[in-house]
Amino acid sequence: MKFKDYYEILGVARTASNDEIKKAYRKLAHQYHPDVSKDPAGEEKFKEVAEAYSTLKDAEKRAAYDQLGKHASGQEFKPPPDWSSQQGFQEYTFDDIDLSDLFAGFAKGKGRTHQSGRDRPIPGQDYELSAQISLEDAFRGTTLDLGFTVPEYDIQGQLKSVPHAFKARIPKGVTNNQKMLLRGKGGKGFHGGHDGNLYLNISFVPHRLFRVIDNDLYIDLPLTPWEATLGTTIKVPTLEGAVNLKIPAGTSSGQKLRIAKRGMPKHNQEFGDLFAVTKIIVPTTLSDQERVLLQQLADASTFNPRHHFE
Amino acid sequence: MNNDHNEFMWLDEHHEVSLDEIIQLSGLTHDELHRLVENGALIPNNPTDDSWRFNSHYLVSILTLSRLKHDFELESDSLALTLVFLERIRTLEVQLQRSQHTNSAPTIDE
Repeated sequence: MKFKDYYEILGVARTASNDEIKKAYRKLAHQYHPDVSKDPAGEEKFKEVAEAYSTLKDAEKRAAYDQLGKHASGQEFKPPPDWSSQQGFQEYTFDDIDLSDLFAGFAKGKGRTHQSGRDRPIPGQDYELSAQISLEDAFRGTTLDLGFTVPEYDIQGQLKSVPHAFKARIPKGVTNNQKMLLRGKGGKGFHGGHDGNLYLNISFVPHRLFRVIDNDLYIDLPLTPWEATLGTTIKVPTLEGAVNLKIPAGTSSGQKLRIAKRGMPKHNQEFGDLFAVTKIIVPTTLSDQERVLLQQLADASTFNPRHHFE
Repeated sequence: MNNDHNEFMWLDEHHEVSLDEIIQLSGLTHDELHRLVENGALIPNNPTDDSWRFNSHYLVSILTLSRLKHDFELESDSLALTLVFLERIRTLEVQLQRSQHTNSAPTIDE
């Protein structure tokens, strides 16, 4: 087991009062809490800070932690031989276990040694995971292989970090940045306590052609100036093969052409729409003939897109 | 629409959760949730019924609220205000995401 210096993490002396510990924690929580901080490393940092605080704010846990002695951060160590029995734990091997798991299980372990607390149901922990899926998988529905490690008690009552792997079915109808609750897929409950839940944040891998808003898809549709002016019919890709789209004569850049029910599936079996957003692209090099024809057009046309300037 | 699958629940504007489910999932108490409703921070879909039901998107903000309450040791009185701001942030983030990908040009149907 690796040692973590909880006092060092909170930036307080080992003799710090409860008030000093609380003040230090609050300051660091404002700095690193993932719901508050913009620091990308904030979440990991906050976990350390919260772990340190949850142990040091509790007089019993703090006394037990202090009895572990002082070691260098990250150094492998074993608690003193009689430490487990003094703290009311069953004997641990301390292999495969993290200091945070040990103190998270402290109350539970203590509880098991008291007659009144024996067999008290302990609910499993909730977890949150993020997963990215392709737009195509979101369109058809998919199955994800998910996994993380959870602290669990084995048959001997030993606390261990156990890999928890399972498949999660993502039905079609999922939207970008949608959140799902997977019941009972979190940490295992103990003594009849219900298993924890898993909150899954699903986002889409950016697609090379389509952008997605709710159940609608957007695609940029490049047009030549003459296609936009004269109108035409163009094959537009969708997630289920290309469709013909009629471009009306006199189409400008930035117009949205709706192709009904060619977007993403909805929960109610219907489909969103696909919007083709027109973008007029001009050629950067011209043949002699093109230049002549465009010059003839410029000479003959009375069209003035800036008449409102006058 | 109800979440009709026992294994999973969508957390969005189209599905519902009961008050009991929110209590069970968030760890907030019955009284705390009642106070959120009284203060207008949490709006049931059926306010005149005995068994309130809520859009399941609330669960995302309420789980954050529960975390903030625990991690910052928030007082019960500040929960409603915090939830109002969390919901406002969530709404603005959705609007921002939409506006980044759309424009205001009129739509032409095919």
